[in-house]
Amino acid sequence: MTVSYNWLQSYFKSPLPRPENLAEILTMHSFEVESVEKKGNDYVLNIDVLPDRAGDCLSHLGIARELSALLDKKMTVPSFKLKENKEKIKDYLSVKVESKDCLRYTARVMTNVKVKPSPKWLKERLNACGQNSINNVVDATNYIMLETGQPLHAFDYEKTGKEIIVRKAKKGEKLLTLSDKEYVLDENVLLIADSKKALALAGIKGGKSAEITEKTETIVLESANFNHKLISQTARRLNLRTDASIRFENNIDPNLTEEAIDRVAALISDLSGAEIVSGKIDAYKEKLKPWAIKLKTSDVGRLIGVDISKTEITKILGKLGFGVKIAGEILTVKVPTFRQDVTIPEGVIEEVGRVYGYNKVPLNLPCFSEPALRNDDIFWQNRTKDYMKELGFVESYNYSFIGDEEEAVFGLKGMEISNPVSNYYKYLRTTAIPQMAKTVKENSKFFKELKVFELGKVFFPEEKMVLSGAVLGGSFASVKGSLNELFDKLGVEKISFSSIANDKIWHSKKTAEIKIKGKTVGYAGHLSSDLIDILGMEDAVFFEIDFDQLQKQCSENKEYKQISYHPPALRDISGIVPEEIKVEEAAEAIRNSSNSLLKSVEVFDVYKGKGIPSDKKSISFHLTYQSDEKTLDAKTIDGMVSDLLNKLKQTINWEERK
Amino acid sequence: MDFSELKNNAEKELERIADSKELKEFSDKYLGKKGEIRKFFSFVKDLALEEKKVLGREINEFASLLEEKVLEMQKEMKKAEKEKTEEKVDISAPGKIVETGHLHPITQVMREVEYIFERLGFSVVEGPEVEDEWHNFDSLNIPEGHPARDALSLGKTFYLKNGKLLRSQTSSAQVRYMKKMKPPIKIVIPGRVYRYETTDASHEINFYQIEGFYVDENVTVANLKAVLQKFLELFFKRKVEIRLRPSYFPFVEPGFEVDMRCEVCGGEGCSACKRTGWVEILGAGMVHPNVIKNGGLDPKKYKGFAFGMGIDRPTMMKYKINDIRLFHSGNLKFLKQF
Repeated sequence: MTVSYNWLQSYFKSPLPRPENLAEILTMHSFEVESVEKKGNDYVLNIDVLPDRAGDCLSHLGIARELSALLDKKMTVPSFKLKENKEKIKDYLSVKVESKDCLRYTARVMTNVKVKPSPKWLKERLNACGQNSINNVVDATNYIMLETGQPLHAFDYEKTGKEIIVRKAKKGEKLLTLSDKEYVLDENVLLIADSKKALALAGIKGGKSAEITEKTETIVLESANFNHKLISQTARRLNLRTDASIRFENNIDPNLTEEAIDRVAALISDLSGAEIVSGKIDAYKEKLKPWAIKLKTSDVGRLIGVDISKTEITKILGKLGFGVKIAGEILTVKVPTFRQDVTIPEGVIEEVGRVYGYNKVPLNLPCFSEPALRNDDIFWQNRTKDYMKELGFVESYNYSFIGDEEEAVFGLKGMEISNPVSNYYKYLRTTAIPQMAKTVKENSKFFKELKVFELGKVFFPEEKMVLSGAVLGGSFASVKGSLNELFDKLGVEKISFSSIANDKIWHSKKTAEIKIKGKTVGYAGHLSSDLIDILGMEDAVFFEIDFDQLQKQCSENKEYKQISYHPPALRDISGIVPEEIKVEEAAEAIRNSSNSLLKSVEVFDVYKGKGIPSDKKSISFHLTYQSDEKTLDAKTIDGMVSDLLNKLKQTINWEERK
Repeated sequence: MDFSELKNNAEKELERIADSKELKEFSDKYLGKKGEIRKFFSFVKDLALEEKKVLGREINEFASLLEEKVLEMQKEMKKAEKEKTEEKVDISAPGKIVETGHLHPITQVMREVEYIFERLGFSVVEGPEVEDEWHNFDSLNIPEGHPARDALSLGKTFYLKNGKLLRSQTSSAQVRYMKKMKPPIKIVIPGRVYRYETTDASHEINFYQIEGFYVDENVTVANLKAVLQKFLELFFKRKVEIRLRPSYFPFVEPGFEVDMRCEVCGGEGCSACKRTGWVEILGAGMVHPNVIKNGGLDPKKYKGFAFGMGIDRPTMMKYKINDIRLFHSGNLKFLKQF
């Protein structure tokens, strides 16, 4: 709301504080003043009146009323003289309200109007408030709206006919507004009409069909009140928010129409010498009356945290226009109808608090109650992120959305957004792999090697956390090694990597299914060759793990393993096995066929080719034997190895190479 | 031969030795198998027993002294010669790059914020990102037809085809936790939120918030002020001055905007604080009785405060990041700086 300083001053006999000080006072007690600008010999305050106070403070009188309370200054509202002629309004006009969404409709008729430019003072006032001057009649309605907060409208009587009807639009009904824009309406839109045609979008914008022109001599003035919810929704749906609709949206006082229409009629009469037809039409079925709110005087201090005396409470509320009665501890507050935002005791307390001043409220830390509880989810998320960082990964954040292209290329089916910002953000992601691939592709222009991860939500459709990542310039084995290290640090046991069947995303020969205790929790490997081709990117290794599953297996338990001070004995074995035996299977067979003296099994060579039958491969292992009690002698070790080789021959067809 | 002469000669020669080669020659000459000292022993052999005893001891003492000296000199010379040949490290050459991991700047700031609130006794909890309309709006006293509902739902909220929506603020979890916990409820809810925006350097469709929520029998504005001031001091690691001014959010009454004295100008007014001397840092208020009721508690008995703070902006301020879109860019040149 743009407010003129001079206009505010006109309501007070004694001078107001300087504009900057006035702005500071309003900001601290009422609404934020976003700027103060000098405009000619006036100052313009840009005040951010929020929806709760838009009902009474999108007006100079409303702001002046605030100031009167805040500054403890008496304000005087200028009086006006209303001179009616001898004609009767019922000979001119009748009003039929057909919809409950019109709470009140007040109308007057004026004759002998001379439409002409406005005088200088009026132009200046409007100009200061950012309004263009149009003609004296339209300017007068705008001026009174800026003064009282009541939107007003003037129709050319020659064009309206004798009956005004407030009704819902018919489906497909059209209306051309004053700004020459045509709207096609439906049954949800409230209209001002005559018996033949639509005249205006109620509470939003006037229509071209009854526009005031230089030829206009007789006018109908409208001062009405409409259902604020309906106006809010219609204005947003039509994308047509106006000075009028913004006021109606926020519950202005229906009791305001009468005063406003009289003021505007008197002003038009002054400006153009027009006559005011005697009487007014006022369709107002359910009159809004002040309501009472009861609370204890101690409730104020209980919520604000500082004692404010009964005298002070009474004084503050009184200045704001509330009726106050105190009987013992009980405070009965009568709320004026222009304050429809105040409906509960807390609303009354807020009024007292803000005028009293929140800066006067002391600081008081709450007493210690219970220690904060550890959140296991966040604890393991943090641990995981830290371990990934230790493993050299860079954390990235991606949007929760993916677009048509990813859905098509990766064959995904995410939940669709009804109102996406664009086709790039049309679905909720079911996996972060497409975004990881994009990250690799984009960054590969600058980095030969990279390791990234994200720990974030996917929607499958149920919301779950996944740990996703990509490594460029590393092998499957390096990713497997990183993940194994992560699992070990998280205390997750019984991990296995097994082959996968054909898949649209993953390369069936270069990808492992990651299992914990036999249950699949994720995948690690290369993308399918088709995908790599379509994406036109370098081959990288990706992984994605269901973090909710993984977290269930995380454990902080760790047990110290006895350190042996006896020297380890190393033996290498090298053998030929059938091709289908996997390296991990062979290692597992070695472990299963050995006793606890075998401390580690490490593969150092896998070979196929010359010298090896085509359906076989050669594998070589480093074996480490160590005892906690004694130094092992060569004879014992050789015995164990030959025993092992015999067993391997039977289990995995191992032929030792000499 | 006279022993004292031998002793004299040896001592004089020893003083003149300059390098390890000469030392070796000296050692051979005196201490070697066919050296002077051995030779002297063969001469002693023929002396009378008593004389032999005295002189023998003297020679032995001298020989071990000499040996000790030679060893010491050898050590020193070796050290000196090694130092001479050792290559000098070029300490001005650039350090070798070590590839380490990095955490996202939002992760780092969010953790710090969570950590401070935990120290102040607030448990960290999380809420769902896909919400229903009731939790996102109605439970927060933003019913259908309310202008704030229209402002949020018609233009700013993402809806799913299945009727659910993406939470537009972390406040949507308030009522869930009131139903789950018993007062005193003292929680913070961090997380990702969603707004329909045309993205630019300062607007994003995904961003981050932390919600603070405290419900107990006697919670006051004075408590809210103290907690926020304490938090901001711990976060900015300096004294801060805050002010509460009236504002409006449907789920609180009274509602506040919390400003902090501008750090850039110290309150004088500069471009960073739009010449006001104050920077808007978060929104807050006393929990609306309807919200307490929606959480299944008696609003006459229980009061509370709530506040919501964006994380993106303080992160941008902290690291002087000028474009919010970098957070979701996946750009390693950006991410590797943190």
